[in-house]
Amino acid sequence: MEKLIEILKELQPEVDYETCENLVDGRYLDSLTILSLISEIEDEFDVVIPTVEIIPANFNSAKKIWELIQRLEEE
Amino acid sequence: MTYFGIKYIFIFLPIVIILYSLMSKKLKPIILLCASLGLIFYISKWLIIYVLLSFLSIYLAGLLLQKIDSKRDLICEGKEREERKKIKGKYKRYKKIILIITIIFNVSFLFYFKYLGFFAKIANRLFVIFKINLSFEIVKFIAPIGISYYTLKAISYIVDVYNEKISAEKNILKVCLYLTFFPSIMEGPIARYTDVKDRIYAGNKVTYNNLCFGYQRILFGMFKKYVIADRLNIFVKLAFQNYMLYSGVTSLVGAIFYTIMLYMEFSGTMDVVIGSAEIFDIILPENFRQPFFSKNISEFWSRWHITLGTWLKDYIFYPVSLSKPVKMLTNFNKKVFGHRFASIIMGGIALFFVWSLNGLWHGAGLTFLFFGYYHFALIFLGNIFEPIIAKICEILNINRQNKIYVFFRIIKTTILVFIGELFFRAPRLLYGFGMIKKIVTDFNVAAFKNEVFALGMDIKDFAIVALALIFILVISILKEKGKNIREDISKKPIYVRWTLYYALILAIIVFGAYGAGYLPVDPIYVDF
Repeated sequence: MEKLIEILKELQPEVDYETCENLVDGRYLDSLTILSLISEIEDEFDVVIPTVEIIPANFNSAKKIWELIQRLEEE
Repeated sequence: MTYFGIKYIFIFLPIVIILYSLMSKKLKPIILLCASLGLIFYISKWLIIYVLLSFLSIYLAGLLLQKIDSKRDLICEGKEREERKKIKGKYKRYKKIILIITIIFNVSFLFYFKYLGFFAKIANRLFVIFKINLSFEIVKFIAPIGISYYTLKAISYIVDVYNEKISAEKNILKVCLYLTFFPSIMEGPIARYTDVKDRIYAGNKVTYNNLCFGYQRILFGMFKKYVIADRLNIFVKLAFQNYMLYSGVTSLVGAIFYTIMLYMEFSGTMDVVIGSAEIFDIILPENFRQPFFSKNISEFWSRWHITLGTWLKDYIFYPVSLSKPVKMLTNFNKKVFGHRFASIIMGGIALFFVWSLNGLWHGAGLTFLFFGYYHFALIFLGNIFEPIIAKICEILNINRQNKIYVFFRIIKTTILVFIGELFFRAPRLLYGFGMIKKIVTDFNVAAFKNEVFALGMDIKDFAIVALALIFILVISILKEKGKNIREDISKKPIYVRWTLYYALILAIIVFGAYGAGYLPVDPIYVDF
């Protein structure tokens, strides 16, 4: 989780990732930032994020993103 | 039949509502299906066969994909992770073949009806340039109604089943109704199956509230179309067709009026469409969210024709960005140039595909392609310059949330939209450039005074448009602030509500631009 927050802060520093729960709906993460994020996550956690998983519900908070990573690691 | 016509609003829709209300819960969706197929047959006659072929292809392919998934899951049970991965890979290849065949099957109809003539024309020009003794005969086909919309819906359905985002629907009639639902067949919105699956076949009652809300929305759409869009039509037509006869100011006002007309016509149609569906307790996704409050072009496209934008994002932008070749290029760029540049290029490649398709989707013509690439360039440049602008603001201590700064960003975006729509409406690309040249080199405000009333609008027309636009602006501001105006109205006493409804009806009758001296706007998005 710490590593994920680190990545997020590097990409978009102006957000409090501990509390923010509308990263996509609140337009804190735009499409381009999400692409960068996916690329970083895939490198760091050795998972592949399929396009079908790129929905606001999976990216609206750091917690949700972390849950997605864990789910993909298990598959 | 058009959504704004008397035949639809006063004959077709009420008959469907009555028949629907008379039937049992089970038969209600059948009425909707018959009405939908009946409407398509009424407009497109035997071309309906192509709509049915599309629907059958996705229905059968969906079931087949589901069957493969079930078989795969059965085999995977109790296997180790590595082995499971191998099996999944093998079955994914089978699924991909089915998916590709289904997509090609559906897109080939679209290509045949909409683009064959355009590409034949381009090929003929190339044959002339390269002195090849060949030429294709140019034939213009009449396409089945709504082909651009239902094809995208069909693709979204089958891709979602392939990705296991939704289960394949077993009820053949439900899939057919999803694809052909009469309020959205002609001009969208491009609803996903997940948006409507719970309600489209539920056969819910037509309640008093739904009827009021639905017709209220339809009336609002009629107001936009009859009072504003139709009043601007002749001006726009003359300003674009004969731009060379007038000063640059007329070209500029023509472009502004066209953008307003397009917005009022298309969003008005969406009001009629969404309102019609609401009567049957079916909630369609919104296609507009106050687009003229956008701070940049990227945001504008997340508020204008939303369902097309999200379709292109989900089925083109992300799959292209995350495709193997683009990923390889991104990894290389990341190592050499850093991750910001790498993601700009990765997004840029995907955006190029998105905007090529967005342009082509609107029509087979160079003006539409130019319209697409114009927006691609604006968004791509926006992505490059955004961090630089943020840095400059930081250095100059400019608060980017400041209201004045936001206001100027909105104005800048609106001007860029006007330019894009100018090319979108221009009969030919050269006309578009000609109008821009006029605006820059022949901006004669004094001449406009003489020209303004020669283009089909008198002082009364200008006054009505201005007042109607202020009314729309006030509603937009309230919606932007999160107010639910319709809910608020519904809580008012009955005499207030009905006074408002009658006022709206009266406004359409009194201020509507119809009869001699006016030219109704043809449904613009039907042709796309």
